[in-house]
Amino acid sequence: MSTHTLDVLVENSPGVLSRVAGLFSRRGYNIDSLVVSPTKNTEVSKMTIVISIEGHALEQVIAQLDKLINVIHIEEVFEGIAPTHTKDTQPDYQN
Amino acid sequence: MDMSKKISGASSLVQSLERAGVDVMFGIPGGAILPAYDPIFDSKIRHILVRHEQGAGHAATGYAQVTGRVGVCIATSGPGATNLVTPLADAAMDSVPLVAITGQVPSAAIGTDAFQEADIRGITMPFVKHSYLITNPDDIAKAIAEAFYIASTGRPGPVLVDIAKDALQKETEFNWPTSINLPGYQPVMDAPDVNIRDAAVLIAQSHKPVFYVGGGVIKSNAAKELMQIAELVGAPVVTTLMARGAFPDSHPLHLGMPGMHGTVAAVTALQKSDLLIVLGARFDDRVTGKLSSFAVNAKVIHADIDPAEIGKNRFADVALIGDVGRTITALIPALKREFAKNKADLTTWWDQMNSLRSTYPLGYDMPTDGSLSPQFVIDRIGKISGSDSIFAAGVGQHQMWAAQFIGFEKPRTWLNSGGAGTMGYAVPAAMGAKVGAPDRTVWAIDGDGCFQMTNQELVTCAIDNIPIKVAIINNESLGMVRQWQTMFYAGRYSNTNLDSKRIPNFPLLAEAMGCIGLSCERAEDVDATIEKAMAINDQPVVVDFRVNRDAMVWPMVAAGASNDDIMIAREIAPDWDLEDL
Repeated sequence: MSTHTLDVLVENSPGVLSRVAGLFSRRGYNIDSLVVSPTKNTEVSKMTIVISIEGHALEQVIAQLDKLINVIHIEEVFEGIAPTHTKDTQPDYQN
Repeated sequence: MDMSKKISGASSLVQSLERAGVDVMFGIPGGAILPAYDPIFDSKIRHILVRHEQGAGHAATGYAQVTGRVGVCIATSGPGATNLVTPLADAAMDSVPLVAITGQVPSAAIGTDAFQEADIRGITMPFVKHSYLITNPDDIAKAIAEAFYIASTGRPGPVLVDIAKDALQKETEFNWPTSINLPGYQPVMDAPDVNIRDAAVLIAQSHKPVFYVGGGVIKSNAAKELMQIAELVGAPVVTTLMARGAFPDSHPLHLGMPGMHGTVAAVTALQKSDLLIVLGARFDDRVTGKLSSFAVNAKVIHADIDPAEIGKNRFADVALIGDVGRTITALIPALKREFAKNKADLTTWWDQMNSLRSTYPLGYDMPTDGSLSPQFVIDRIGKISGSDSIFAAGVGQHQMWAAQFIGFEKPRTWLNSGGAGTMGYAVPAAMGAKVGAPDRTVWAIDGDGCFQMTNQELVTCAIDNIPIKVAIINNESLGMVRQWQTMFYAGRYSNTNLDSKRIPNFPLLAEAMGCIGLSCERAEDVDATIEKAMAINDQPVVVDFRVNRDAMVWPMVAAGASNDDIMIAREIAPDWDLEDL
């Protein structure tokens, strides 16, 4: 398990928080924290989401988040110099 | 025409549906959606008045699966909308393009527990591709345009448009959008050239390749492209439950269906392969069995339009994200170039597969007590009705036997609830299919349990002149559950006995609903009964095939077991020593 921070740009539309939060819950991912903030564009909000997750699962979270129509852009935020997220080559094969 | 003319939100909705190209929708009116039904009365869109909203949803799915167009269902708020929940979940699991329109209580009443209020957008959020709650009539046209675009593009799926009653009543102007602007939704259609090249290199090197074909090939209308690439590579093809018909069962490259009830050859081809060429499939647990022991020596080329499917259950060595038909079209010339340099010999692989195919063909025994074999009935319906017919199944043993024994030659001839496993799917789906393809023979192959969940739509069929044919495979049981009780619960048949050879009287029930009711319980009468049903084309027909209740679906890989542990009959495994794989 490692902690990852995602900046997610979303359309500022009703229900979008519930879509994002619901996705994490139904796919079994835990949110450590979630902050929604405005951006310069009033039609776009930024969600900053901190999650604890296995490396491969992070790719799934990002791919599933990206499927939400209201999600415009997802970026992992790295603290310090070294990236905390390296692309996995093997998923976890547990059932 | 003056485009700035004031019209009601309801008129804007109906004009939007017309502009979206809708020719038929399935629904039931009620309080909150009532304003929409007034302009529907004058519309050229055919509205089919179903008897239950679940029927509307599955009918829209059947229509969509047969035509490739977006299916449309419409219901009122509260219970009307919640009755659409199962069809929406079903459509999401099987990637069916659906638009569901629901009325909602007036916007001022939302959140007050008003009469017939249900947060249908909230309820359906986990399994719709997208959803809208419209409270302003000016937003209706844009939402409908986007809903149809989202439902039908990329990986297809259901979209819900929930509209508050006052938004339908208030005045607006009809503004059909000239373009769709969804910054967060841009389906990728074409895989990068470099990935196509990598895939071609892997295929040329593989000594044990298999095409693992899923429902995406049918969604993408890529059966022709699949045939081209399969014949070019000369590798075995397996078609999943959702892909039956994507590749002809009669084709020598076809090893049949893989998975929990797949053929020994298809299951083993995947297990022993060194390269899975996965086309529009998603490594469902019913195909892979225990994932950690699935095809352990195989590399994977995974072609899918949904990026989230890549690596979800199984790591992909080469990902081909895009429309699968276009992917295959791009792959063919790359393969030809690669094959000019090098192509692995598949002779040994085919010797093994042919040996499995001839040693362990699909089959069934006739019951020794003179009772009717369910597999025989389904086999004969497939043979007599022919490969231009459309077959919709419910869920359970009859569904598996239909997938195994009908014999599919063409795409969009096999409809079933593959992902969700929705009992009761067959009758309404067959109704929708017949509406979409009125000149084709449409059979619902149903179980006696399934049939009792949704048969009320036969009334709709009789009244609206939708002459489907229903074969009830009546084993007076929840047959698949009973099979599991036989195998895993020491034959303790807790609550699986439906007594449906006694009650209801299916032919009489059919007659009461305006259908022809037939019955058959002897093997020698099967052909004549099917032919009698085939000859009736002006009324729905229901045949009660009273079959042996102990018949089981074989082969079987038990849930959670490895595909290596496939059983060809009860406690009988293939003799692997013979195969030397």
